[in-house]
Amino acid sequence: MDLIHPHAKRDVAVALREASADGTRVLVVGGRQHIDKGNPSDVDAELWTTLLDDRVAYDPAEMLCVVEAGMRIRDLRSMLAEGGQEWPVDAPDDATVGGVIATGGPTIRQLRVGAMRDSVVETEVVTGDGRLVRSGARTVKNVTGYDVHRLLTGSLGTLGVIVQAALKVRPLPKTTRTLATNEGGVELGRRVLGAVPLPAAVLAEPDRVVVRLEGWPEEVEEQTASVRSAVGADEVDAPFPPPPFPDAPIVAEAAVAPSKLGRLLDGIDRYRAMVGVGFVWVPFADQDELAGFRVRVGELGGIAPVVRGPGGLGAPAVPAPGVQRRIKDAMDPAGILAPGRMG
Amino acid sequence: MPTTPDLEAARAELVAALGADAVLNDPLALRLYARDASMVEGSAGLVAFVRSTEDVVACMRVAARYDVPVVPRGSGTGLAGAATPLGDPLLVVTSKMDRIIEIRTEGRLAWVEPGVFNLDLATALRPLGFTYAPDPSSQQVSSIGGNVNTNAGGPHCLAYGVTSAHVLAVDVVLSDGTVERFGSEAPAAAGYDLRGFVVGSEGTLGIVTAACVRLTPLPPAVRTILLDFADVEDCARTVSAIVARGVVPAAIEMMDQGIVRAVEAFVHAGYPTEAAAVLLVEVDGIDAAVDAQTREVEAAAREHRVGTIRVAADETERALLWKGRKSAFGAIARIAPHYHLHDCVVPRTKLAEVLAGVYTIAARHDLIVTNVFHAGDGNLHPLFSFDRTVPGTLERVLAASDELVRLCVDAGGALSGEHGIGLEKRDFMPLVFTATDLDAQACLRSAFDPEGRMNPKKILPDGARCGDYAAAALAREGALPEGTWI
Repeated sequence: MDLIHPHAKRDVAVALREASADGTRVLVVGGRQHIDKGNPSDVDAELWTTLLDDRVAYDPAEMLCVVEAGMRIRDLRSMLAEGGQEWPVDAPDDATVGGVIATGGPTIRQLRVGAMRDSVVETEVVTGDGRLVRSGARTVKNVTGYDVHRLLTGSLGTLGVIVQAALKVRPLPKTTRTLATNEGGVELGRRVLGAVPLPAAVLAEPDRVVVRLEGWPEEVEEQTASVRSAVGADEVDAPFPPPPFPDAPIVAEAAVAPSKLGRLLDGIDRYRAMVGVGFVWVPFADQDELAGFRVRVGELGGIAPVVRGPGGLGAPAVPAPGVQRRIKDAMDPAGILAPGRMG
Repeated sequence: MPTTPDLEAARAELVAALGADAVLNDPLALRLYARDASMVEGSAGLVAFVRSTEDVVACMRVAARYDVPVVPRGSGTGLAGAATPLGDPLLVVTSKMDRIIEIRTEGRLAWVEPGVFNLDLATALRPLGFTYAPDPSSQQVSSIGGNVNTNAGGPHCLAYGVTSAHVLAVDVVLSDGTVERFGSEAPAAAGYDLRGFVVGSEGTLGIVTAACVRLTPLPPAVRTILLDFADVEDCARTVSAIVARGVVPAAIEMMDQGIVRAVEAFVHAGYPTEAAAVLLVEVDGIDAAVDAQTREVEAAAREHRVGTIRVAADETERALLWKGRKSAFGAIARIAPHYHLHDCVVPRTKLAEVLAGVYTIAARHDLIVTNVFHAGDGNLHPLFSFDRTVPGTLERVLAASDELVRLCVDAGGALSGEHGIGLEKRDFMPLVFTATDLDAQACLRSAFDPEGRMNPKKILPDGARCGDYAAAALAREGALPEGTWI
């Protein structure tokens, strides 16, 4: 396995131009935190983005920052904390900005802070054949041209190497608080969501519901009272978000319409569901269990990619396969970027 | 361009598929559809009013058979010319597809047809305790289909985000007549995010026949604050100061003296006509949070020499203040018979200097300019008022507009915040993108529409095209295992 570890965007472009000419298949790697997501892909080389980690621009008054995509979440977090702000994606410290965008996973506080995909306002990407393509703008609103960055979000490194991104950031919450109930289940989670205005997260597990609150101190007090008016709940001191099933060999990150979570999880004894959003993590011991779960997810119109262990994306129906194929061809004409990883 | 006999044959097929009442025949009626709300006029070869997805499919098939371009049109309120027909195309009007298909509060979503007016959707949701957050000023007459295609904004997008953040899925008819669902009721879907790419694509990729939109719970408390300033720069700088205090209001709208005077004469909301500029700030959320945010907003304004701070006492007063803001474009008819409304977006911290530049440009071209805009987003809407029957006036407006675009781009801004590129700004695209960027966009566009039939000549300037990339890809066709698409 060859290693490409570029120091600058132009090195990325040169490396990919050569790879396209030689037919060298390349896997793009950031912090290696989401590497299990996607179908197996045979490659000849890895391209690590971690040396592309410069801060490009950050002014807190703009509520935007521009960084190179190999910057670690840990470094981004401390950079933004100086301005009293955050990029609210709740990704692991070692993950990179580009990796978080390319894997397109859930934001655990999505109910309050919105989805990650809506916070990426500009990207620079090096296509499979070494072209540097920019899209979007460093403004919070923009309809200027086609949003190539929308396609990159969740593309698992199959369309290009994201080398730089402009991100919408937001003020750090003044206060945070985590509450947990003594009973669990999606139905109870839904009751809590109905009782509390603007929670950051309501996570249902079989034996408890975890509620994350954030905002102004008076606001969090008021929300706490709302939770307790609906259900008994105690404050929890543990770090948030709690790591999902650290001991499980296989974890799926399913997505279904939020109203279908109850039906999906009926009879399943370990899960963590984002109530009101529709993401749910479920651990499995083996592929047979996973396959059974995927049948149920498919019946409910959802998807269930594996995010830890083997299992890939499954085989969900993809809309407009011809369009998808032509998008891939337009961005990676030689087909060298992680062939087969997206489907 | 199709020949007249072809158009006649195409018209006959459309009549057979859609019914005679759904296809315009009268030349005078066709003229009414020669433009949208922009200043550019074209000509429509055929105009069809679709009532269903099947009707749209029929239109696409007929267009393909006769090689006629297709231009989608919603309410025709677009300001950039995206719905202006060029070269006698088939104009597909979606305004009769105006059903709210279903509202599911438990799932916090609704399915709507493209012709539903934005405000009608919000009004239907309100008694249920929800709203549809994007609220363009045109919301009484602009449709969801048009909103999706321009990724529409509105005053409340500062805190809630633009249309894209509120569209979970779209049903789209592609130019080859296939019907696809992009996105999902689930928070993630298989494949690339085609939903996100279609939102804001100005009808150049396909025709949206239904949208699944996200419902936003109505905030428990709302407070609307009117701040007036003797100095425009103080007013503009207050915007950054509010944000710097860690407050993200639901809306921060700015109006200058010219617009305040026009509005006040029109709605009598008690707007201060002597102030150089005003800010209309709205904060919302839980009661306690609203109090805290109000304190911060007032403190930021005091630091910048605010005159009066007026907090709307009740819902009636709040509605009146908003009526003033939202009727601004109607009110300016009092200034002159015609107007040209701009849309560009700049970094929030550059607002004061860019505004000063706007006034300088207007003065240089001897034009009346007023400003009412989404200051919190850095989204400017300079508005030139004029009488186009006076010889030479239109030329001055266009020259000033050109300078205005360059001013915003030089300040690090974008060509459009919410109206789109359409025809109006197409030829400015090379100011913000390289030839490589534009070629890549052209390739991605043709991934959806290989024949180039959808809304040609919009968004991308002549010369942006998909080069040899697709050909190179074709050369390796067959190299991948059966069943893989990547």
